[in-house]
Amino acid sequence: MKKKKLISLFMAMGMALSLAACGSSSSGAAESAATSAASEAAASSAAESAAESAAPSGEFAGTITLGVIGPMTGTLAVYGTHVSNGVELAVEQINAEGGVVLDGKAYELATDTKDDQGDSTECLNAMNALISDGVELVVGSATSGCTSAITSVANSEGVVLITPSGTADALTTEMDYVFRTCFKDSFQGELAAKYAADNGYTKVGIVYCSADTYSAGLRDAFSASCAELGVEVVAEESVATMTDVDYTNQFNKMVSAGAELVFIPFYYDVTGPYLVPQARQAGFTGVLLGCDGVDNTETTIPEGADLSVYNNFYFINHYAEDLAATDVSAAFVSAYKDKYGEAPNNFDALGYDSVLVYKKAMEAAGSSAAADVQAALADTSVVYEVASGKFSFDETGTPIKSGVLMGYSYNDGDTTVTKSSIQALEVE
Amino acid sequence: MITFIQFLITGLRLGSVYALIALGYTMVYGIIKLINFAHGDFIMVGGYTLYFTIPIMMKMGLPGWTAVILAVIVCACVGMLVELLAYRPVRKKGTNLTALITAIAMSFVLENLAQAIPAIGPDPRVPYTLFTQTITVGGVSISSATIITIIVSALVMIALFLFTQKTRIGRAMRCVSEDKQAAVLMGINVNRTIITTFAIGAGLAAIAALMYIAQYPKIYTTMGATLGIYAFVAAVLGGIGSLPGAMLGGMVIGIVQSATNTYISSSMSDTFVYLILIIVLMIKPAGILGKNVGEKV
Amino acid sequence: MRQNKTAQRYLVNFLAVAILLIASVIISVTGGNTIKLKIVPSVWQCCYLIIMAASLNLVLGFLGQLSLGHCGFMAVGAYAAALISLAFQRSGFYDEKSGAAFILVVLISFIAAGLLAAVLGLLVGIPALRLKGDYLAIITLGFGMIIVNLINNIPFCGQQGLSQGAASSALYANGLGFSNDEKMKYMWLGVLAVILCMTVMFMFVRSKYGRIIRAIRDNEIAASASGINVSFYKVMTFAFSAFFAGVAGALYSCCNSALATTSFAFTNGSILNSVFIVVMVVIGGMGSLTGSVVAAIGMFFLNYTIKNGAWVNALPAFLQGIFTYPMLVYSLALIVVIMFRPRGILGTSEFALCDIPQWPSRIKKHFSRKKEVTEKREEGAANE
Repeated sequence: MKKKKLISLFMAMGMALSLAACGSSSSGAAESAATSAASEAAASSAAESAAESAAPSGEFAGTITLGVIGPMTGTLAVYGTHVSNGVELAVEQINAEGGVVLDGKAYELATDTKDDQGDSTECLNAMNALISDGVELVVGSATSGCTSAITSVANSEGVVLITPSGTADALTTEMDYVFRTCFKDSFQGELAAKYAADNGYTKVGIVYCSADTYSAGLRDAFSASCAELGVEVVAEESVATMTDVDYTNQFNKMVSAGAELVFIPFYYDVTGPYLVPQARQAGFTGVLLGCDGVDNTETTIPEGADLSVYNNFYFINHYAEDLAATDVSAAFVSAYKDKYGEAPNNFDALGYDSVLVYKKAMEAAGSSAAADVQAALADTSVVYEVASGKFSFDETGTPIKSGVLMGYSYNDGDTTVTKSSIQALEVE
Repeated sequence: MITFIQFLITGLRLGSVYALIALGYTMVYGIIKLINFAHGDFIMVGGYTLYFTIPIMMKMGLPGWTAVILAVIVCACVGMLVELLAYRPVRKKGTNLTALITAIAMSFVLENLAQAIPAIGPDPRVPYTLFTQTITVGGVSISSATIITIIVSALVMIALFLFTQKTRIGRAMRCVSEDKQAAVLMGINVNRTIITTFAIGAGLAAIAALMYIAQYPKIYTTMGATLGIYAFVAAVLGGIGSLPGAMLGGMVIGIVQSATNTYISSSMSDTFVYLILIIVLMIKPAGILGKNVGEKV
Repeated sequence: MRQNKTAQRYLVNFLAVAILLIASVIISVTGGNTIKLKIVPSVWQCCYLIIMAASLNLVLGFLGQLSLGHCGFMAVGAYAAALISLAFQRSGFYDEKSGAAFILVVLISFIAAGLLAAVLGLLVGIPALRLKGDYLAIITLGFGMIIVNLINNIPFCGQQGLSQGAASSALYANGLGFSNDEKMKYMWLGVLAVILCMTVMFMFVRSKYGRIIRAIRDNEIAASASGINVSFYKVMTFAFSAFFAGVAGALYSCCNSALATTSFAFTNGSILNSVFIVVMVVIGGMGSLTGSVVAAIGMFFLNYTIKNGAWVNALPAFLQGIFTYPMLVYSLALIVVIMFRPRGILGTSEFALCDIPQWPSRIKKHFSRKKEVTEKREEGAANE
């Protein structure tokens, strides 16, 4: 009796162990995804080996540890793992090129990655633990909700926090130690509204998710700007969660309200398989306008689907290969493809940029102490040329950069949709 | 009028998927009185199997849906493993409550295990879409996948009904569900019957996965959680243990969701789904088509 | 003799409580950086986890009903406490987060949060507790989902109101959301809340009512045949338990500078969800309040050190791979515990501080008895 139970137990454990073990021991893309949250030791040893391959070891005068916080497991894991992929790539490259040079001495970069599981309490724990371990520069977290839980700690404890993808406007406004590398919601919302006004659309609709900070924040900004610019929002519909599968009813309403353009602040995992095809099936033929979350929709378009539905589908992005791109952009894209075997998304790029921004600020300050780096970052005249474009920080710590309007198109006979840049967007 | 028809079609589209999943839930519950919370995650397993096998099938020149055969096998194996490794040892010692808690834990195990496997990981995947034609009648369009799902659900329901009524194993299953001890006395191998039930239930999840990804082509590791809960609510609403009840419950849930979206508030659909469930359970605790069994002292 | 012993037990417990309180005050006065950043936040989190686990144990362990929507009550308590404290702040009742006025507001918001959750528990319990077992589980799950969904749709709470960004979180920081320094300063408040709640819960399960609900758990039909109004006691226990979940929510809103409904959802993949609380109760022992306390603290530290401790790094690589997915570890642990001890590690027994000296002999006795039993069984098998 008992023996059987024990055997079954060990079998179960064995199965779990072996599966998880393949997770951590295999190479390539999987490795970084699975072990990124595992340990500082693993991360720094990976960094060491990378450094060894390019530069003789022993060259570094010390190690500067960057804290990374993000959802590495759980329902939001995809955002956190991508931010971490970008960070790891940047750290590897910087170490291979000789590290961060402060006062003529080269320092090696290492990361200490913590998993917040998309939960604000865990995020706060991770932040406190990092500070307690002496980390002074932190990248995180991936969502606005989690980031808002740690901004005040960063400020009161004097630790620099760069959020790669926390877009909520208010995150940086009152916090001197908080910066970001992404757009803020009101900026993107304004760009989108301006695009609608400039192109003569008078009746627009919004489909968004009221329970998500990214989506609802963009919706607020967009409708406020529309009111200013005299564009009428004729219909506004919400879905319950960001993982909802059916948008047909919402778009039926858009059609009956006569919207010519519908603003869709969602992520690419929804737009590709669900939202765009369903909108067209509901009879909506007008323009679909998304934000930076929509980038990479081409990776989530199902094979065998009718590709013509993706015509007339535009989004605002940080950079395009031919517009607003820097030398870093192209190099980043190819290096990322080499390391992980797939095209990077915006989370990868913004995570990568956070490290580059830190490097430049540290070298400008000649120090890796939080107060010095904060002072360097607060200098609004410095221009950062990073993968997601060229920008400088405003007084609050949000990048001033231009947006790019991109669009998907499909011509009969093609096998894939084409993503191309259309125009640069600026706010006066 | 068009809005009404459109919302009805959307409701059917969602409902047909819930119905098919609910059939698997109801099947297992009917036999061993266990809410198999991991059923939603069997759908995830089926989804990933299909994601990997459909391209292989198509390369071999077969139609894509034939991959479902492999998915059924994989899911049935996972279902049997779960029963053997977790449910059976717990059932021997514990109560209904502990069995339910084990099922919930198993669902978390499967979700996190899937994330830990490098070939799967947390990124969402988009499988090949099947049954893409749409049929348009008088300005209203309905996708062929919806119709096929409804037909498949009905066929599965009839097949399950015949299976439990006419075959030896089916009769043994009903016997086990009525009275385990008596079943043992009648010479029925209870454990084998239960494991067959799990294999069939999980196999159904693979079929449900095929129809799900035909309509909503995206798979990710935690997809089973919400999907499973809706389908389970559907099964309870229709009367858990009742096969036609599962169909009915699925359709009702789908239509309620769609009606809330259309007529009330699109962000409140969850509230109304559960409200309907609560109201039905208040009026008829065994569900719409369930049989109310009195408790013996 | 017996009375003497009881008096002695009370004295020991009272001393332990006093030491705990004094220690929390001393810690918060002396604290260094590690204490402020690691220990104090941990204590706060343990506080609400303990109350959550114990309050769920009332329903799950003592009443024998599985509630999967317990975090819904916690969410109500958290939002209610935060909003009430903000309302006081806006009305100018207190300016600085210190002094008697502020402490009064904290206490009021704690109690109000508990009462609101209790009223909701009553509303949920009256219809829900007509159902049993699996149906009850699913209906409470449904209620939990409805609560979260409704909070999401209330314009001034939801995702937008109390969680997003510095403008509103600065606002929130004027209310209950404590900064690290304030957490240090008011740690005694959290500890005191736990002590009070646990005392009341202990008194409840030791009272006549406690015996009645255990009778209902063990055999509902027999209980009702003995003249017990089963539905009344079920609903009462449910509301009582919801009260403490509400207080736990208020404590939760103290420890966080942002509130988000996603933290309370059933399918949320992190430590604080209804499932994780169930895990604590089951591992500690269904029907053992002390077990819940130990399990809550134990699980918290496991979770905390998996993510922030160094010991994971010392493990072999394949084990590290597993610990990357904490929920996997907890679910496997839950299955293992249920397999070997279906009623949890402590079962229905409580332990008292006075008994600790007797533990070694008890453990010895436990094992020797087990050996006897197995030997007897083997003999029996041989005879057959």
